[in-house]
Parts: sequence; structure tokens; C-alpha cells
Amino acid sequence: MPHSPDDPSDRQPESVGSEGEPARRRPVPIDRRSFMRRAALGAIAGPALLDFLAACSSNNVAGPSGGSTPAGFQIASPDNPVTWPIYKDNKPIKSGLKPQAGSTLRLYNYDDYIGPKVVKEFEKKYDVKVTVSTFNDTDEALTKIRSGKVLYDIYFPSYDQIAKMVTAKLIRPLNHSYIPHQSNLWAEFSNPWYDGEWRYTVPYTVYTTGVGWRSDKIPADIGGMANPYDSLWDPTHKGRVAVIDDWHTAMAMVALRAGITDINTQKAKDLTVIKNQMLDLNAKTNPKVTITMYNDLPAGQLWLAQMWSGDIVNAQYYLPKGTKPDVLAYWFPEDGKGEVDNDLMVILSGGQNPVAAHYFLNHMLDTKNALDNFGYIGYQPPQNALDPAKVVADGYVPKNLESAVVRREWFTAGYRLLELPPAADAAWHAIWQQFKAGG
Amino acid sequence: MSLDAPPEPDERQDIAAAPPAARTRVLWPVLAFPGTLWLVLLFLVPLYVVLAIVFGQIDPIFRSPVPVWNPVHWNTVQFQDVFSHIIGSDGFFGPALLRTAVYVLSASALCLVIAYPVAYYTARYAGRRRGLLLTLLIAPFWISYMMRMLAWVNLLQNDGLVNRALGLGGLFNVQVDWLNGRGLVVVLGLVYGYVPYMILPLYAGLDRFQPHVLEAARDLGAGRFDTFRRVTLPLSIPAIVAAVLLTCLPMLGDYFTNDLLSASPSTSMVGNLINNSVLTPGQTGQAGAFVLLVLVVSLVPMIIYVRSARSEGVAS
Repeated sequence: MPHSPDDPSDRQPESVGSEGEPARRRPVPIDRRSFMRRAALGAIAGPALLDFLAACSSNNVAGPSGGSTPAGFQIASPDNPVTWPIYKDNKPIKSGLKPQAGSTLRLYNYDDYIGPKVVKEFEKKYDVKVTVSTFNDTDEALTKIRSGKVLYDIYFPSYDQIAKMVTAKLIRPLNHSYIPHQSNLWAEFSNPWYDGEWRYTVPYTVYTTGVGWRSDKIPADIGGMANPYDSLWDPTHKGRVAVIDDWHTAMAMVALRAGITDINTQKAKDLTVIKNQMLDLNAKTNPKVTITMYNDLPAGQLWLAQMWSGDIVNAQYYLPKGTKPDVLAYWFPEDGKGEVDNDLMVILSGGQNPVAAHYFLNHMLDTKNALDNFGYIGYQPPQNALDPAKVVADGYVPKNLESAVVRREWFTAGYRLLELPPAADAAWHAIWQQFKAGG
Repeated sequence: MSLDAPPEPDERQDIAAAPPAARTRVLWPVLAFPGTLWLVLLFLVPLYVVLAIVFGQIDPIFRSPVPVWNPVHWNTVQFQDVFSHIIGSDGFFGPALLRTAVYVLSASALCLVIAYPVAYYTARYAGRRRGLLLTLLIAPFWISYMMRMLAWVNLLQNDGLVNRALGLGGLFNVQVDWLNGRGLVVVLGLVYGYVPYMILPLYAGLDRFQPHVLEAARDLGAGRFDTFRRVTLPLSIPAIVAAVLLTCLPMLGDYFTNDLLSASPSTSMVGNLINNSVLTPGQTGQAGAFVLLVLVVSLVPMIIYVRSARSEGVAS
């Protein structure tokens, strides 16, 4: 359903929904959970940790802190594709089952990262009630899932948690007979490097991470610079700049700026370069570290920010009245050599409704539903029917944000944020911690 | 409790006529039981969990904390990691801690400057309107702290009311970036958020003043200013200390005022360090170490206060 990109109010009907709440991928980073976290660190940690101990003993992962990758713990990458084993005690469900009428399907997702219309249609079609619980970041989500206290059916992570989830048997292998719509997806997803034979996952969205800016506030052609990432260090933009509040996404951008194309590097020399540049960034432009660019950039609060492609697409709906979307601009390397990622849908083994969960995955991969959902969340599904060349013509994305459309060939050319071995993970996090301490 | 005035003579007689010792031996522990239970369950047990995490292990795959309950096996690596990064060439936590102290002390001082006259007026001059004034003072508590901060985000954003007011409603184009990493805005946010916590204990303290003490001062020739300086202010010091403690302690752990009004690392406070580490894989123990640090720092003035309050009680 095309809509005019010139008029923010003319959003596709399903994109605003009866809730009237505009779409976004990430929520405002303050919520009840955050308060509780602050108020009683110990009190919330206690019960979760007791469960954790029990979980660890059954999964044989407990032990003292180790610097090396534990045995049996593989890390998938495009160069090292992994097909995860299917364990005897964690097998797919049987074929030919029907979702139980009147049952409840529990989704665990980012706030506003799924369109209410497609959810309602599923409820109606299968007589299943769907509830959506939200998390702020996937580290938090994984902690909660592992506690076993909340039995969600479907979780929407990126692939950087898959090794942990499969190893700890937190996710259920898929029975493909329930998911025929998988054939609607780009062919590379029938055997993705992070999950050979798509045994455990189906893709949800694809997105790039680039630089977004207000072309009315910054006259310079940032996309035309020799190294557009440099703009984030330009002191003339001080106080109007932001980077994404996700350690790996932000630091990978810093690596790319410095010419380090291995954005999962474990070399101490590379990490020193990244650290120095992070601290230099603080000194030069005093950036905000946030995930609300989709709101702050259109509001004029920010002029320039590291951004996810889906968020710049959403930003057009947050512009003040009378401001046209053509003030928004986005740069991602034309050759695709930037951060390119995809999110997933997985079925949690702790969930109580695995049959309905399979049906739901299939429902979301249906082309019409996937496109409806795209209209709401702004993040593109890797559907064959969605021709990147026609996304602009079809009105999903305004012409000036054409660079935010994810091209299929970028999946070969781009760099992926991978899971890191524990020691490297600790080294990256330590730099991020120093950066965020502002020291 | 700390603000209790010394017992009046007639109250002392009541205590003297108290039930026999055998009955009070049962009564007092019974009365103390709920409070003690509360303290144990919601303070001591969680504190022990924090210790078990700070000095515990890290899971090798998930890098989540694995508490070690037996102190014999405690490991101080994470604790040392935090403290080695406070001072020295690699002391990147140092500036954030210093900043916290500066922000909290400035905000408390500002709160006091604002709150004292308000509390003084309410206690001494409000007369029949006292009830109404108190209700109005408590009114901010009816709205959640976060909502009040979000309201400030709206007011302070570039096209918000504050900039429009400064531009005299459009005569000038004022574009102050209040929300882009300014320490002053964070301090003012803290002041706004916590000033009611300052007013109420000050009011409670000032309200107990015996007017005849002030009248005596005036009778003996002290002017208005001298009466305030030599009588009112010294007498209200316990109330001031209690009020400052009541605001300083939550400010020390505050992180969302900073997150909402700045979100820049250049204004990070210790609360932000805790919030950033607590769910970061492998850093939960460090968050616990910061919690202990804040606890120790806030215990020192608390102990001094309790000791001084007790000695005053003994003296009176």
C-alpha cells in the first residue's frame, strides 16, 4: 500500500494503528525494569541467580571465569559457517499438529518492533491470543530468558547470541513442515552461515548501520566526504552528535572509520586504536549515546548521528508539522562495505505453545504480512517480492532516503557484528565502559 | 526518629509509670520484629547477594555473574579492577566519581537554598494556610519522578517552551542546546527532582521550634537577622543535616536524570556507571563494587549524623 513520502500524516493505515503510537525499533531506555534494577540490584539478582545456578549445573557450563573459548562453543561467521547440532533432548515438534484454540502465544520483542495489525490477524485466524512483552536490549532479554521465570514462546534476537542459545538449549529446533513461507525469503536465508539449514532460526528484518543527518542544518555533503564517518568527530557539530547506545554497533563504526575492516577484531593493536578514537570522539563532539535518534534527529535536537537504516526510515514520521522528509539524509557505503545485519525469530524451548509459535513464524514470513509489518516498523524484511529498486516507487521509503534501502548484494559485501569469544568480549566491553564513564 | 524533641517532663512521668520489666521484655521485641524482618530481608540479604556477586565468578559462556556464597572462596578480581581504575594514569572512573560528588553537593546546596525559606515560611508564617501549603508541597510526589523528568525533556528541547520563552515568544531565535550534555542541566534536574525531599524534613524540624525561644532572643535585644543567625539556624542544624542526607543519598544512585537530560558520557555519574555495568555481560560484579563504594561513602556521614544526634539527645 503506497503512501506519499511527502506527507508524514499519510502513513500507511497499519503503520499507526489504533494505538496511534508511531513505530520504532528500540524503546526509550527508561522503564519500570530499569528502576527496579537501580533500586535493588541485589534483590533482583538473587532469585535469578539461584535459577541460574540450577540451569548451569544441568547444562554443564558452570565454572570459574575463563579467558579462552569453552570447549564445544563455536562462533559462526561468514567464513566459518556453522550448522548447529540437534540434541536428543531438544528435538523439533512433531508434524501435522494444530495450534490449540484459545491458547496464548507469548512474544518477547523490542518495543514497537512488530505491527499490531499482523498480530491481530494471526489471533483472528487461529483463535490464539498473542501477548507481546518487551525488552530494552538483548543482553537483558537473555538474562531473563535464562532465569526460566517467564515462559516466552518467540524471541527476536540478532545472530550474535545464537551459539549461547543453542549450546544452552534455550531455543527449539524448527520443524520446517510448518513454515512453507520460508521460500518467500532471499535464497541465502535457506542456508545462512550463522544457522546452516535454518535449523533454529528464520530471519525477521535486514538493516544497515550508517550515518544520518539533517541536510537543512548541515550544508556539507556528508555522504560525499572521503570518509563520512569523520563527520562524527568534527568539532563544528559538537553537542549535536550521537552514536548508537550499543557497544558493538558503535565501536564497529569507530573501527571502520580507522580502516579496521575486521569489526570483530581480537588484536590488541586494533583495540587500542578503537579505544583512542572513542575517547577522541568524547573530546571532539561530546556525543549523546542513545537509541532515540529516530526522534531526536527529526526534532532538531541532533543534527548528525550514527543510525540504523530502519530508524532513519521511521524518523520521517517524527518530523514536526510542516517539515518535509527531504531534510533527512542517510549515508551507507555505496559498495556495501559497512555494518549489515539481520534480526531473527526463534522459538524458545521454555515456551508453552510451540505449535502456535511455528504457525506464527510462517504467518510473519507470508509476503503480504511481511510487507504490512515493514510499513509499521520501518525495518525491511528479506522478502523476494520486495524489490529494493521498487521500495521507493512503492512509497515505503522517500526518495532522499533511498540509501537506507538494504540491497541484497550488501549481504556478501558488508561486515557482520559477530559473537565474540569471552576474552575478546571482555576487552571490547572494557573500552565501552571507559567511553561511557566519560573519563 | 532523629528529629524527635527531648521528652517533655510529663512524658517522662509516663515512662516512669511504665509496665513491669517482664512485660516490656516481650513487648519491645514484638514491636521491633516487623522492622527487623524488613531490614534483614530487604537490606542485609540483598547486600550479601551483592557481596557474593562482587566476589563471585563469571560464567564462561554467558559471562553472567555466578555468586559465590561462601566467603572463603571469594575472589577479589572484579573489586580490584574497579578500584585500580579510580586513581592513577588509568583511572577512568575517577572523573565520573568526582563529577558525582560535585553534582550531588551543588544540587544539595541549591536545594537547601530553595527549600529552607519555603519550609521556614510554611512552619512559621503560613498560619491557617499551612495545610494547603503542605498539600501543595507534597503534590509533586503524586507524579512519578520519571514523568516529571520527561516533562523537562519537552520543555528544554530546542523548540521547547524554555527556548521560546527566552526568545520572547519568537522575537529572537534562541537555540540553546539544553539537553546535549550540559552538567548544569543535570544539576538543575537533580535540584528539581529532589527539592520536595528537602522541604518536608526541614519543615518538620522547623515546626518544632518553641516560639518562646525566638521571643526570648528578641527580648534580649537580638535583631531579626541576629535571631536567625544565633538562634534559629543553630537550632535547625539537625533538621538541615537530616534533609541534606535524605536528598544526597538518592542523588548518589540517580542515573536516569542524567540519561534523560544529557545522555552524554561527559556527564556520567556513579549511578550511570552502575546502570551501565549491571547487565553488561562480565561486569555485574563491578556494578556491585560501585554499589559498595556508594554505600561506604554514604555510611560515613550517616554515622557522624547518628552519633551527633545521639550525643545531643544525651546532653538534653
